[in-house]
Amino acid sequence: MTALGGAIAAGTIGDRVWLYSNYHCNLACAYCLTDSSPSSSRRELRAEAMVAVARQAAELGFEALGVTGGEPFLRPDMVETVAAMAAVLPTVVLSNATLFSGDRLERLRPLADLDVAVQVSLDRVEASANDDLRAPGNHARVVESIPRLVDAGIRVRIGTTLDPDAEVSVAEQARLCALHRSLGVSDEDHVVRPVVRRGRAAAADMGVAATVCDLPPELTITVDGAFWSPFGPTVREGRLDTDLLVTRTTDPLSVPAAALARLAEDRPAGDDARLGIR
Amino acid sequence: MSDRRGLLAAAGTDAPGLPLVALVTEGQAPLLARPFFAGGDPGPIVAALAQVPELLEATAPFLGAVLGPSAVPIRTKEIVVLRTSARASCRYCVETHTVVARDIGLSVTEVRALRGELDASEVFAGIGDQAVIGWCDALVGTGPVRPEAKAALRGCFADHEVVELTLLVTTTLLLNRFCTALGLPTSAGVLARLAAEGLA
Repeated sequence: MTALGGAIAAGTIGDRVWLYSNYHCNLACAYCLTDSSPSSSRRELRAEAMVAVARQAAELGFEALGVTGGEPFLRPDMVETVAAMAAVLPTVVLSNATLFSGDRLERLRPLADLDVAVQVSLDRVEASANDDLRAPGNHARVVESIPRLVDAGIRVRIGTTLDPDAEVSVAEQARLCALHRSLGVSDEDHVVRPVVRRGRAAAADMGVAATVCDLPPELTITVDGAFWSPFGPTVREGRLDTDLLVTRTTDPLSVPAAALARLAEDRPAGDDARLGIR
Repeated sequence: MSDRRGLLAAAGTDAPGLPLVALVTEGQAPLLARPFFAGGDPGPIVAALAQVPELLEATAPFLGAVLGPSAVPIRTKEIVVLRTSARASCRYCVETHTVVARDIGLSVTEVRALRGELDASEVFAGIGDQAVIGWCDALVGTGPVRPEAKAALRGCFADHEVVELTLLVTTTLLLNRFCTALGLPTSAGVLARLAAEGLA
């Protein structure tokens, strides 16, 4: 086993490589890390580059892939790209699930036969509270889309991002869990995490402050370089944060992976477990 | 090349008097670059290189080894850096190393001579100093190096010193073009010193 493979196996760095496929989005959520919106520049990773990252990640000993944005499925080539990546390693794609109807839903069907999960954002059980953070009508669209995906045979995860200042009650969280179960999503496929005070959330004075010690190291590839975690390549008021940049070099992937492992070795213990950042 | 239009992140400016790229601040220092900011403002060369932290991590130790204390006396090295920078017309390096040269004991007259404001052959009497200055003058530019400059240097320095002095001149030239191309700003402290000593 290589030193890097050992670092992955030991949990020194995460076993998943994340890719920011693009930065534009049809929504403009209040806490968005990347300040994404319909007017954001796309800043896309090329499809070939994403598949190349997948192949190199597997060779280096990584065990999973994640794709996020922006809204990845705004890209017309995303289904084919994810399919090619998932042929190499299990892949999760984060999505707002607002585009899955008609032809777009049909185009997703090949993903059902692959090791792909679509992680859909659903923050609150009450539509008004959810939509305040995300977009008018978002709750209804998501609740409509999830069963469609499930019926199409696509594994769905739900990602809930909570504003720690919102004081969401245990009862409300229980009702949210009841909702996702009713939509066909199991408890193990429900991820809850806090808003992290970076990007648009920082501008809006929302979320938990997190330093590099608080963020689990997960190699994250973007058009701007490789970052410490998917919470790294944040954009605030049009400017990219570089405080969690690891290297500008992303190909070969061994360069940022080795640098990340070296940095992670020296990392003091942080609060990622207590803060629930994942 | 990727589509980064619209992102202000790494954007500097091509406006006159301002650096071409954003100089990384301590708060935005990438992880590999953070050690270089731990002691305070690392200066504009490091702040620019921090845009590409893996290059900073490789380049800074190299520059430190070439420019820092070594087998060649610091006075000789500073003569090389200031003379080369002046011949290469690098404003940033000339201004910055004028102050460094004064701090390590070169006189105002010697500094002026190295900057080309006085005849260096009249100010520097030592054969070694003259050989080094001639070597700088010979290496700035293109094409073959003048045989007389080679002979003068070989007459005064051992092989390892020739190698080190040559690397020092060429590394200074690298920095001269880097600083000039990016329009790196001279610090307020250096400008104040230059003004105070009549060397602005």
